[in-house]
Amino acid sequence: MEMKSLIDKIVQKGREKGLNDMEVYYSAGNSLSLKVFQKELDTYNLSESEGLSLRGVYNGKMGYSYTEKVDETSIDQLVRDVLENAIIIDSEDEEFIFEGSKEYKKVDSFNPTLSNVSEEKKIEFVKSLEEEAFKLDKRIASVEVCVYGDGYGETIMFNTKGLTLQEKSNIAYTYIVVVAKEGEDIKTGMAYRTGNDFNKFNAQVIAKEAVDEAIALLGASSVKSGDYNVIIRNSAAAELLEAFTGIFSAEAVQKNLSLLKGKLNEKIASDKFTLIDDPYMEDGLASKSFDGEGVACKYKRVIDKGVLKTYFHNLKTAKKDGVETTGNASKGSYKSSIGISPSNFYVEKGERELNEMVADLDKGILITELQGLHSGLNSISGDFSLAALGYLIESGKISRPLEQITVSGNYFEMLKNIEETGSDLKFGLPGGAYIGSPSLKINKLSIAGE
Amino acid sequence: MLNRKLIEDTLTVALSTGGDFAEIFVEDRTNNGIVMIGGKVESTMSGRDYGIGIRIFKGFNSVYAYTNKSDPDTLIETAKKAAQAVEGDIIDLTINLTKTNVKNINIIQIDPTTVEKTNKVQVMRKAYDTAFNYDDLITQVSVNYTDYIQNIMVANSEGLWKEDTRVRSRLGISSVASKNGEMQSGFYAPGASKGYEFFENLNIDYYAKEASRIAVTMVKARYSPSGRMPVIIDNGFGGVIFHEACGHGLEATAVAKGLSVFAGKVGQQIASPIVTAIDDGSIPNEWGSYSIDDEGTQSQRNVLIENGILKGYMIDKLNARRMNMDITGSSRRQSYRFSPTSRMSNTFIDNGSSTPEEIIANTEKGLYAKHMGGGSVNPATGEFNFAIMEGYIVENGKIKEPVRGATLIGKGSEVLNKIDMVGNNLLQSQGMCGSISGSIPANVGQPMIRVSELTVGGREGEQ
Repeated sequence: MEMKSLIDKIVQKGREKGLNDMEVYYSAGNSLSLKVFQKELDTYNLSESEGLSLRGVYNGKMGYSYTEKVDETSIDQLVRDVLENAIIIDSEDEEFIFEGSKEYKKVDSFNPTLSNVSEEKKIEFVKSLEEEAFKLDKRIASVEVCVYGDGYGETIMFNTKGLTLQEKSNIAYTYIVVVAKEGEDIKTGMAYRTGNDFNKFNAQVIAKEAVDEAIALLGASSVKSGDYNVIIRNSAAAELLEAFTGIFSAEAVQKNLSLLKGKLNEKIASDKFTLIDDPYMEDGLASKSFDGEGVACKYKRVIDKGVLKTYFHNLKTAKKDGVETTGNASKGSYKSSIGISPSNFYVEKGERELNEMVADLDKGILITELQGLHSGLNSISGDFSLAALGYLIESGKISRPLEQITVSGNYFEMLKNIEETGSDLKFGLPGGAYIGSPSLKINKLSIAGE
Repeated sequence: MLNRKLIEDTLTVALSTGGDFAEIFVEDRTNNGIVMIGGKVESTMSGRDYGIGIRIFKGFNSVYAYTNKSDPDTLIETAKKAAQAVEGDIIDLTINLTKTNVKNINIIQIDPTTVEKTNKVQVMRKAYDTAFNYDDLITQVSVNYTDYIQNIMVANSEGLWKEDTRVRSRLGISSVASKNGEMQSGFYAPGASKGYEFFENLNIDYYAKEASRIAVTMVKARYSPSGRMPVIIDNGFGGVIFHEACGHGLEATAVAKGLSVFAGKVGQQIASPIVTAIDDGSIPNEWGSYSIDDEGTQSQRNVLIENGILKGYMIDKLNARRMNMDITGSSRRQSYRFSPTSRMSNTFIDNGSSTPEEIIANTEKGLYAKHMGGGSVNPATGEFNFAIMEGYIVENGKIKEPVRGATLIGKGSEVLNKIDMVGNNLLQSQGMCGSISGSIPANVGQPMIRVSELTVGGREGEQ
């Protein structure tokens, strides 16, 4: 096989230049994305791409390099960069190449039926998604974004300690953003689906979700500033968890960048709060059998009924702490060095539905969307202050939509004030990890408005 | 980067099914990144991005395909696949490429690939030492070093054929201060379209101390009050307010389809008469500058708002068709993996007539935002948000105690009219802007301004 011969040549060159253990990581994939605007296929994108990275140990330090020109002309550059990069490392934390786990569970994240779906069917689907949105309500002034996309990816990991691992997966996604208009009032609503079963995408249902969201927000206004009981709806709660995922990394803890340092086996959250990382979850879009270092992945409870049970480890951080790796080494792509990331990471769901939780509140606020998550929070301090959309709850009922408000608090404090988790576990759009949460009822957060 | 014959053949195949415009973009980029945490080099990554994108227009619709392979068979095959998505009468276009030299506005003195990595680490160590030794409360400092050289080629069926090289350098310094079990951080990340000379001439001492000063000030600060109040936003990164509240809404991406609140408003008063705003990708060596955009158009100074009146938008080739307006040299993309579209470059509110001292002295009660974090906007509704990294209470015309953890929110169309004082100390600051065509380097900027009323989202009640 062509790739094997290239890998052999890279390794040979590395040896000549004095590299010790080496690892080659190769990934390739293709993608398609279709966007519709006013009944026309407005954008049609396709790609075929590949990349290769090399990491290797020189004088006990790990150097990294990568290339997107995957051929023999890149060998010299790859090896030279690894050497030059290894030389300047002066961290004492040892990074090493892994010989392999005893056992790997099989994970099936490739669905062959997806590649058999014809392009015509996909185009038909995304056009019908836009059409459905306009049909549902006269106040839908435009459909801002209406997209269907899918992609296939495969990775090969090969190292000089005798480990060779391969994996392939595919995924499809669709999302729609609608604009509702009534007089001067403009509101948007969004809905998405992800997964690798095309037949589960139902244009009518997805369009309705986005339209309902936008229409319900029409006529929104602000609310008086103050401390309120708050329910953060599932998708918003998942986004908030995603933004704070870094605090569970052992790397952040060891580098004094996480306030969870020294809190293992301590109660850091409410009894109602259990946080799970499950790489083998059914339909999990971050399911995998091995992590970025080739270590077999494992299921773990990160927080169990409020008690912090573990951090996320890779081989380096685990060695430093004298524990076993949790199989959470990340390699975002061939362009990334080894980091730390969860897989399918979610808050365990509770018993009751969202509407039952709402019915309990005499006065409160239901937050449905949080904005500016990349800037309005500080994962080091835990402080957040975020623009939000939602609804005012009065006497157990949704009384009116809210806009131009912010919700502020501290994540570490908030975890202790979770009074209930809903039964409506929902996952966000997949990135490096696939993160989910049910709706969370919080005893008091600060709301700013009028 | 590709020979003339291959480019012409690829473009011809791209137009073989009825497309009326085809473009090929080649990118060959060398990246170099070093991360230092706690004074130790933790990780380094170097690599080469290489890829080719082919774009076809048919009326208002577009097709984009990319690949990493540049051999003739793959390119022709990719063009063929892309062309399959186009249907229509075949237009007989003769492609006659003329290679034009690009006038380089970003003169580079030292090619970063010629500099030993140990020298780069020295720069980082100086930043680390200065930031860490600033105060006993500083418990951690991270330093990020980045340089890259991006070589591009763009050619299209109109005969355009250009090559350009973009070199950028940036140093990020992040300090953490701890006190009584609490942590706060401060951040500064200067950058420029310069080579290694950027680091040699950089006032590292100043930026490192600023990052630590912000962290130390904030760990001692109480939480910000909430509610509507006058807000003074300082120069430099404060310009993120214009970037979010208005800039994105003036990109053709949002305007062409009538999805922006500013669509159809050229010639109308959309801001307070003291506001003039510019997007200028042609300022030599600035972080958001480029000699040609990613469609091969020379960068230029675009007046967006003059004395409160909307003058124009930022427009790329495709959206120019829908808008029936001229392109403005604003088409950008993160890499060959993205189809280019209209984006900001160096975007700023121009100088006004007030001094910063006057603005503060004339504010009876409000909030002073000295350093800002990032933000975001929904261009359809105009709702924006951005975070205050370092804030202070203003009372009786004086700056009082520091406050932390506040976000400012509003609607773009409203806030522009509420700018009631504009200072005379314009400063630009560097950031990364994420949108439909990826994450790109962009400057934000402004002199100190005052907004008569904004919603401040803090954790304490009203003042």
